[in-house]
Amino acid sequence: MKPASFEYYAPTNVDEALARLAELGYGVKVLAGGQSLVPSMNFRLAQPPALLDLNNVQELFYIRPTSDGGVAIGTMTRDSQVEHDALIKEKFPIIAAAMHFMAHPQIRNRGTFGGAIAHADPTAQLPAVVLALNGRMRIRSQQGERWVAAEEFFVGPFTSVLEPEELLVEVELPPTPAHSGWSYRQMERQAGAQALVGVAVMVSLDEAGKCRSARIAFLSVGETAVLARQAAQMLTGQKPTAELIHAAAETAANVDIEPGGDIHCSVEYRRHLAEVLARQALTEAFERAGR
Amino acid sequence: MSSVGQSVLRIDARSKVTGEALYPGDFNLPNQAYMKILFARRPHAIIRKIETAKAEAVAGVLAVFTARDVPVNEYGLGIPDQPVLCGPGSKKPDADRVRFIGDQVALVVAETEEIAEKARDLIEVDYEDLPVISDPLDAIKEDALLLHPDLGSNVICHYQIRKGDVEEAFAKADVIIEGEYHTPGQEHAFLQPEAGVSYIDEENRVTVVVAGQWIHEDQDQISHALDLPHEAVRVIYPAIGGAFGGREDMSVQIVLALAALRLHQRGIDRPVKIIWSREESIIGHHKRHPYLIRTRWGATREGKVIAAKVDLLADGGAYAYTSTKVLGNATLMCTGPYEIPNVSVGSSVVYTNNIPTGAFRGFGGPQGLFAAESQMNKLAEALSMDPIELRMRNILRDGSLLSVGTPLPGKVTLDQVTEQCAQAGGWKKTDKGWTKPDGLRIDRARENQNPSVKRGVGFATGYKNVGFSFGAVESCWATIELRGGSEIEEAVLHHAGADVGQGAHTVFVQMAAEALGVPVEKVHLIASDTATSDNSGSASASRMTYMAGNAIRGAAQIALEKWENEERPAVGRFEFHPPATTPFDPQTGFSKPNFAYGYVAEIAEVEVDVETGQVHLLNVICVNDVGKAINPELVKGQVEGAVVQAEGYTILENIVQKDGYCLTPGLSTYLIPTIVDIPEQVETHLLEYADSGGPFGARGMGEMPLLPLAPAITAAVHSAIGVWIDSFPLTPERVLTAIKEK
Repeated sequence: MKPASFEYYAPTNVDEALARLAELGYGVKVLAGGQSLVPSMNFRLAQPPALLDLNNVQELFYIRPTSDGGVAIGTMTRDSQVEHDALIKEKFPIIAAAMHFMAHPQIRNRGTFGGAIAHADPTAQLPAVVLALNGRMRIRSQQGERWVAAEEFFVGPFTSVLEPEELLVEVELPPTPAHSGWSYRQMERQAGAQALVGVAVMVSLDEAGKCRSARIAFLSVGETAVLARQAAQMLTGQKPTAELIHAAAETAANVDIEPGGDIHCSVEYRRHLAEVLARQALTEAFERAGR
Repeated sequence: MSSVGQSVLRIDARSKVTGEALYPGDFNLPNQAYMKILFARRPHAIIRKIETAKAEAVAGVLAVFTARDVPVNEYGLGIPDQPVLCGPGSKKPDADRVRFIGDQVALVVAETEEIAEKARDLIEVDYEDLPVISDPLDAIKEDALLLHPDLGSNVICHYQIRKGDVEEAFAKADVIIEGEYHTPGQEHAFLQPEAGVSYIDEENRVTVVVAGQWIHEDQDQISHALDLPHEAVRVIYPAIGGAFGGREDMSVQIVLALAALRLHQRGIDRPVKIIWSREESIIGHHKRHPYLIRTRWGATREGKVIAAKVDLLADGGAYAYTSTKVLGNATLMCTGPYEIPNVSVGSSVVYTNNIPTGAFRGFGGPQGLFAAESQMNKLAEALSMDPIELRMRNILRDGSLLSVGTPLPGKVTLDQVTEQCAQAGGWKKTDKGWTKPDGLRIDRARENQNPSVKRGVGFATGYKNVGFSFGAVESCWATIELRGGSEIEEAVLHHAGADVGQGAHTVFVQMAAEALGVPVEKVHLIASDTATSDNSGSASASRMTYMAGNAIRGAAQIALEKWENEERPAVGRFEFHPPATTPFDPQTGFSKPNFAYGYVAEIAEVEVDVETGQVHLLNVICVNDVGKAINPELVKGQVEGAVVQAEGYTILENIVQKDGYCLTPGLSTYLIPTIVDIPEQVETHLLEYADSGGPFGARGMGEMPLLPLAPAITAAVHSAIGVWIDSFPLTPERVLTAIKEK
């Protein structure tokens, strides 16, 4: 099918884009890579009166190191560019690992890093990964700029804190401390399709080999990407033994998340998967941290 | 010079790659109107009233048609049990009922698709809901509500086979294996959803351009429903985007013809176009039959199967479609490719309010064979005998009697496909018989570091008939016209056969060239139009190459004789009849079921994650006796396509219907394998033991490689994790549950 008719704006800089957003508010939808938006328009599930196309806004395409040793990613940077970027590979290998599960290469060639975050799909990989990496979002409007932590950014399915006149312009990822480890695990029925469950894990160890921090972020288990806080608390300050990891994974699956069931997966099976994947991911992440 | 046996370029390759080839959805005519169908979207109800005034009042609407507008409001390949349009006002008994969500209630023809859609949504239908029967076991209860009250029973068809004395044989058996198997439905998921255009042609024929599998059957169904003579109806197939059995029954054919005819009668001569969405396609056409199979096999300690008792119950859905034929095949296949002296089979297919079920690649064979080969693999385990060895002790050979009391015709090569497949997979033949080396692997390079992932290899053998079975009328026409002076400059082949994507038309041209002794470039094919070609029968039952090839050879011979007699053009017209078959005897099942067969064996290698239940198909080896590969690359393509479709059937695809509603009406919910889900390798071995009746020795092969894969995969899963799983698809949840129950 073809989309319903719509107005089309293609600004060439952020100021122009923000002006248009301020003018049209709810009457416009931002077009980044369009890999989710355009199909839903073609199916007439979305019928925005106007599109604001950011593909000509050159200043939003970048990956650059930050002064604290982290990385800033411009909102329009293509997923495949992030996936294959040397700096990202070096500092955040979990991103490339998770992107392997993200749809198909053709879609990643067009889809954008910031678009996937702003879309706030609870079954998407990047919101969970950015949550695990403790990233923060730079949001601009004509009124100015604000920073929002990933933990505060996602508020519901396909819903974030972004106001209609605001634009997500950058995702900033802080540096990972020494003795950090990562893992991404996912299971799906069909390659490139929605994850039944996915989990992104970042851990770090102190000098004594005890867990300094653990961030366990799930996708496809709730209304947003979900951080398993109680499981993380169980691990923090402790030696990550197999028994403890087991117990933490169990807590993550049974206490931290409230998954639903669907035709592909019952609630019980989803919890089972969450536990298995969290255990595997934590085990792998702590192994990597200890190397 | 030889054309047969060469992988010549498909005659439609260039046009399909460049986009020049027109599929029904691409086919447009000047001034065409657009049609939308109002589907029932409820599983069981009586229509009290249809109010169309609001829809008709929409600007741009040309007409709204309902049951009253259908001259003879019924159709159906086997039994004419389905109204063309459901609703009051036609003579067909109970045509005011809808029996599944995809029943068609009204047609709207308008200037644009959008207008037609808008008007369709303004049609008001007053439904009185009826109880829904969604389980075949409920349908056969004595007090069950009848879906078709005029037919007097929910049982569409019942067969039985009685050979020897099974009870006596069970008493003598050293080992008895019992099993209950559930095989699922399957959606054809062809690339091209149903579409077409209808118009009144220059000779005043109601003409439908559509994708199907048998133009003359479409013509027959249309002319019956429209109460027109055959010659007043014309059916043309342009390029067809896949079929797999899913286009054997009517979808848009009759309603397109009806709309063009009724508009014409109202003085509106405009072509009518329709394209179904994927959702309309999934709810609107039939599926593969789900089966419940309960079975008991007995064998001696020496590994001789002496008894098999099988009960089969199939869900036919709301209408019969090809249910009777599918059931016949399952009834024959449920005892596998083995000579078993004592057999008792009872089989039924019943009406429910689910989406109708019908033809789908394999046609009852995969269902029956899954139970048979699973039983065989379990017997091998119980006897501590290698599964190849056990098969070789029971396999049907030349002269062996089938369960129905007659032998397989022609050269039987089940022993060859079985042994050659075992060998290709690494089985060893020793003095003590066949053995599988410990930890046998097909892909030796692959290692999975995850300790929860286990590997396994499984085996199954199968066979499938070629052509229509059990006494069905079977024939195929071809006409060849030779033009030129002293030498043949052009050979024009007229043939009705449908190229559904398998490459039939290329193979027709190759066989004509071979039979005439001319290069393929000289053969010009005029195909798939009832106005220019005689009846070929359907592109189904793995029969097209076999039947068309024989017809083409006959026509070529006549044309060449006339050529020698200096006739210009020299025209040869020939109808091929294969040897006759006979129906099941109602009491014993005794019959000569088929005139030809193809034989196949497969090995599957899988990985199973015991923590998640995920099954991953790594490799498949397929050994298929095709008699003669007319075009080896096309044959290989058919093997690989069948394997992928069988993988989807076994592992991934999962039609979910609840209380008559379909919960998987799109390809985002009904998942099929994509290029990243399919096995890394399909190793195809083509054997060429000629079929004495086949053209150039060819046997049919389009369905065969689909049959053994499901039981080969479940055997591989068993070899990986020690659990038999008797229902599929092998969703991770189902596999995990089976592991936990072990």
